[in-house]
Amino acid sequence: MIAKDTIRSVVEKFGSEREHLMAILRELETLSERNVLAPTVLEGVAEEMNLPPSALAGFVDFYTMFKTAPRARYVIRVCKSTPCHTSGAINVLEAIGRLLGIREKEATADGMFYLETCECLGACSVAPAMMVNYDLHGNLTEERLASILQFYRAGASGDGEGCGPETSAAATIIHDERQTARLLAHIGRVDPGEIARYREAGGYTGLRRAVGMSPADVVAVVKDSGLRGRGGAGFPAGLKWSFVVKGPMQKYVICNADEGEPGTFKDRVLMEGDPHLLLEGMAICGFATDATVGYIYVRGEYRRSIDILQRAIDQARLDGCLGEDLFGSGFSFDVFIKEGGGAYVCGEETSLMNSMEGLRGYPRFKPPFPGQAGFQGSPSTVNNVETLMSVPMILQRGAEWFKEVGTLSCPGTKLFCLSGVLNRTGLVELPMGATLREIIDVYGRGLREGSHFKFAQVGGSAGGVLCEDLMDLPLDIDTPMKHGVTLGSGVVLVCDQTTCPVDFLVQTMSFFEHESCGQCVPCRVGTAQLHHTARRLAQRTAEWADVEKMRETAALMKKTSLCALGQSPIMPLETLVKNFPAEFEAHCRADYGCAACDRSLGRYYTASSH
Amino acid sequence: MATIQIKLNGKTVECERGQTILDAAAAHGVRIPTLCYHSQISRTGACRVCAVRVNKTMYKTACTEPVAPGMDIVTVDPEILDMRRGILNFLLAEGDHNCLYCEANGACELQSLCFEHGIDVPPPSSAPRNLRVRDVSSSEGLRREENRCVLCGRCVKACEEIQLSRVWNFAGRGSHTHLTTGIRDLLGESECVQCGQCVQLCPTGALSFQTVLGRGQAWELTSRNSVCVYCGVGCQINFFTNREGQLVKAEGSIHGPNRGHLCVKGRFGFDFVQSPKRLKTPLIRKEGQLVEATWDEALDYAAGRLATIKAEHGPDAVMSFTSAKCTNEENYLLQKFMRGVIGTNNVDHCARL
Repeated sequence: MIAKDTIRSVVEKFGSEREHLMAILRELETLSERNVLAPTVLEGVAEEMNLPPSALAGFVDFYTMFKTAPRARYVIRVCKSTPCHTSGAINVLEAIGRLLGIREKEATADGMFYLETCECLGACSVAPAMMVNYDLHGNLTEERLASILQFYRAGASGDGEGCGPETSAAATIIHDERQTARLLAHIGRVDPGEIARYREAGGYTGLRRAVGMSPADVVAVVKDSGLRGRGGAGFPAGLKWSFVVKGPMQKYVICNADEGEPGTFKDRVLMEGDPHLLLEGMAICGFATDATVGYIYVRGEYRRSIDILQRAIDQARLDGCLGEDLFGSGFSFDVFIKEGGGAYVCGEETSLMNSMEGLRGYPRFKPPFPGQAGFQGSPSTVNNVETLMSVPMILQRGAEWFKEVGTLSCPGTKLFCLSGVLNRTGLVELPMGATLREIIDVYGRGLREGSHFKFAQVGGSAGGVLCEDLMDLPLDIDTPMKHGVTLGSGVVLVCDQTTCPVDFLVQTMSFFEHESCGQCVPCRVGTAQLHHTARRLAQRTAEWADVEKMRETAALMKKTSLCALGQSPIMPLETLVKNFPAEFEAHCRADYGCAACDRSLGRYYTASSH
Repeated sequence: MATIQIKLNGKTVECERGQTILDAAAAHGVRIPTLCYHSQISRTGACRVCAVRVNKTMYKTACTEPVAPGMDIVTVDPEILDMRRGILNFLLAEGDHNCLYCEANGACELQSLCFEHGIDVPPPSSAPRNLRVRDVSSSEGLRREENRCVLCGRCVKACEEIQLSRVWNFAGRGSHTHLTTGIRDLLGESECVQCGQCVQLCPTGALSFQTVLGRGQAWELTSRNSVCVYCGVGCQINFFTNREGQLVKAEGSIHGPNRGHLCVKGRFGFDFVQSPKRLKTPLIRKEGQLVEATWDEALDYAAGRLATIKAEHGPDAVMSFTSAKCTNEENYLLQKFMRGVIGTNNVDHCARL
């Protein structure tokens, strides 16, 4: 039971403005020791922050990490997104069931563990993965699960201390001399915990150079470099910066670190492996766009990233790399962290800003664009982690150097997140335009023994699947689009003959229904209908006409949805149906046997995904 | 305002820079159907019913998208009608929309849109549907039948932007989105003061008034404009009567100084009109019993008692207390009477509370 005084002191610690709501609730949830935000606590927060009770109710209900009913001391979140699903997430759930005697949404009698499923945790290279409170664990087998659970039983602190070593930044990157390591150059070599090491390695010289130039010249250099957004949309970064409204008003730089696209873990590795590079990139962006404050919106699941970034921010402030009058230039810039609460849609830039303001993560209609009216109505530049971290090297070495690799329209490198049935999974940095064949054969060292390539999902759940015919397609931002697929955030999830495309589709559609914010009609209803029909297909109770109906539904969603989430399901659907028509047709027959679908249906598709 | 040229359904027309497509089209006599849009609240852009085609390949919601020079806008053609039908079908599949037993029948915007777009087949019963809250008795004034809700958010904004009360919000997410009034989520236990603004803006029968229940569907009601009798603002009200002539509903008129708003008294305080308990003659208490009297009798009695009290105890033994239901002129006369005839400044009025 949390006392009123505790609520008051937590609110005082963070500030009573609504933008601090997420941080306040997270702290109170941790203090509850049962991972719960009880109704009385919410009422107390509402009173203390002068917010209506409905604001608290709506907020807590939106973010899946929060619950108003008691859970347990440790919440086990088993990832069931496609990379983990195809690697045996169901085995993990079943093993936990055997070890603890609980099913989903149940707690052990001693109040130690509560089990739930969740979407992508960003540990896909070591799938299947799970989180215990805020600790990430991968490569889960029954033996490993037993020892992990024992570790918590023995009373270990569960807050960021106990992440599995396989999930660390250095362990996640693929060490291969043949890659073009620019963003990854420091990771595993330069201690991310000490700013001195970063500066010895040439850190903050890009910022130093930038503040000696004019803001317009910095924008020009970034424009010249041809750097395009790495979050998925590929919008030219320099152009975006140049759109920020000019004038004396407060402006913001916002780093989108709400990495949630299933199969993506690049931003987590970058933030944990080289946090100062991000701070430096943000400061340069701030200088170029006349912003003095930067925010990093990190998804709530990435507790370790948050801790490492906070340490880096503290050091940078002490070291004069953040704060007032940087390098004697008169330019001031500081960075703060905002946390997410478990909502994929908050990766959409306007949802992200609503979330930062302590609101439900509903996307806003555009225009106005963030550069005109963003966070708190002020002009804001929103860029992905990978994009901002590419900026210091451009300032350091010049636009021409940056363009030495990559394709004409998409210069530079791209991080690829390898997962699935490869001999080697992890993060690899290659020039834009690398092919799937090269990625799989060279960096993934081919498929595991006994596995035969069936398809690769490129770009995440919002991306499409590629088969043998597109193995040599240059993966940059523009070329895949012409073939009905997308590079997206750089996901390469490789699946073999054991993966059923219908089962894969059900999982993908379940993801979209779960993550739809529910604001606009086509996405709210469409995602539910798509998931429902896909499930009927998996149950072999659908007809081919239902498949056609799904395509119509997805096409309508593509045209009419408010944000990219509702516009996305069409790509996985169309590419799966196009590549595997025979399997889809087979699932339309009641007597067709599909072990993969049977297994999934029996486990976690029994009810709607909430 | 600078004028710009756009192409509207193939015709080049002029409109104002900064106008939305919706307003620009309306100015040229082109109506674009809407659902979540309402002129009294900020734009939402959530229902997507007003989506039109812009520059041949893009689809934009007319209520949110500003016109730009040279914009080529198509507001209606077979493809756009199909899109609208698709969205309306989504809504029909998601909720429980049966006009037969809905109070809003005849004044429901979803019903009109479906009729207008020729939707004559109900959605397949296999469509997934999440049952939502029926909160029909916790509040004295308001009924909430959320299975008829289209989640347009007008109630949320009516409460927040017009009434500054913030009782409503959305809760849940995705297909499980629904309305909430707070942590315990019962209208009757919330901070709602029952102004009824949310009901007035609700496009369907999701929110309705208790006073209407079983007393006529919207199409059976007739409306007459009047002025609120309670206070000095002079809000204009549209009063609705059913076929039996019973007063069943009050809606704020957009034409009055209230611009469509009402308070709880204006909204629900009309039951006295047809109340059998309504006073029809003056009453004088005789030996503890109230007895009917004529006006002459009553006025003589009151004048006599006032004169006696004034004579025995002085004028300050008397005070007056008047009502906002009286006109300004009547209130003026009473204070004049107190000061000039009785001789006291003991004058008060309920609006001072």
